Amino acid sequence: MYLVANVNVEICASKSCKLCTQYCPEANTIQYSEEMGKEQGFKYGSAYIAVDRCKGCALCVWVCDSLAKNNAITMTMIDQLPKAALTDNITYGDKSTTAVLASPMVG
Amino acid sequence: MSLDYVKFSNGFEKFMPKEYRDMVEHGPFGKKVTVSQMGSFKEALEEHPMCAGCAMTLFIRLAIIAFPNPEDTITVGTAGCGRLAISQAAIPFVYGNYGDQNGVASGLSRGLRLRFGDKPKDVVVMAGDGGTADIGFQQVLHSWFRKERFTTIMLDNEVYGNTGGQESGMTNRGAVLKMAPLGKKFEKMDMLQMAKVAGCAYVATVVPNNPRRVESVIKKAVLIAREVGSTYIQAYTSCNIEYAIPTDKVMEDAKTVENDRYQFTEYVSEEAKQYLAERYGYKEFLPKPAAAIPNKA
Repeated sequence: MYLVANVNVEICASKSCKLCTQYCPEANTIQYSEEMGKEQGFKYGSAYIAVDRCKGCALCVWVCDSLAKNNAITMTMIDQLPKAALTDNITYGDKSTTAVLASPMVG
Repeated sequence: MSLDYVKFSNGFEKFMPKEYRDMVEHGPFGKKVTVSQMGSFKEALEEHPMCAGCAMTLFIRLAIIAFPNPEDTITVGTAGCGRLAISQAAIPFVYGNYGDQNGVASGLSRGLRLRFGDKPKDVVVMAGDGGTADIGFQQVLHSWFRKERFTTIMLDNEVYGNTGGQESGMTNRGAVLKMAPLGKKFEKMDMLQMAKVAGCAYVATVVPNNPRRVESVIKKAVLIAREVGSTYIQAYTSCNIEYAIPTDKVMEDAKTVENDRYQFTEYVSEEAKQYLAERYGYKEFLPKPAAAIPNKA
């Protein structure tokens, strides 16, 4: 098993700084979804991780903790995530993306 | 070299992989994308085999987003880590022999001008410190002295990271590396000064811990290279493997190095300032208006 980043939607959707999306070395790995936070009644959207692309460097954790001071991202073992976003389930819109969450182990 | 190459061939749409379809439909081509929109559009850069947490990859990712016209851009690279990511983007990439990237780019840029005339076609060289300052040094300097109109970007990780950690011209004095156990005995090369002496119209240093600055610097360099002359960007992109930086501390290291020896500097020639102000409306380079009321003596 290996570690991947995991965004806490509750914290992220109340801050929505989008800094992590700008600092990830992998393209289209930390994505932003307007719906993800608003569905749960938060003001903004939330960032989320396409776990099949995450290499587990934890650079986003430093950005979220030290630059943004939000502490919304943690590293989690991939089999501990019940549901996560996968590249195949992400659809792009005009200004945001939508992800259908699925089991990262089964797909 | 136009928007046509990012379209589907008739009848092939349903056979293309998802990533390709996303790129055609929601990619950066033919519209303006910025760093602040990252995470909500499909990027030209795809998955790549660079190490986890590599600052060079982050810089390349930002640079590719910052290209003013990605559909009219060709990147040129040479041996080194950077090519592993640059070649994974939906932008034509030319891989030169080691060190001849600026020679290849000179021919390419002249050829494109002959073929397409005034229609801007951007050539961007992205090579490591070894490719730019050591092995490709003479071709780099000659292309600058000839005022070839393309952008040279040095991905300066201060080491030959791809081959196990030999010292390069850009390594700092005293640095001890795996393949340089006695420590480097000479100073880091001052490529910025050389670029100015050689007549580059735009010279800048940048560190990727400020994505918006990377974006603005790359945009300016590519635009100036269209008409005014050579442009040079030197980016600190640490090698977390050879310098043993924990991946989650890569940006902290970038910040430390920025404060220590990689402060943001920008040199813009007078001609380039005028060009940016008149052609692309850069307000900071507009001539200062004369004072309305002359100072009373």
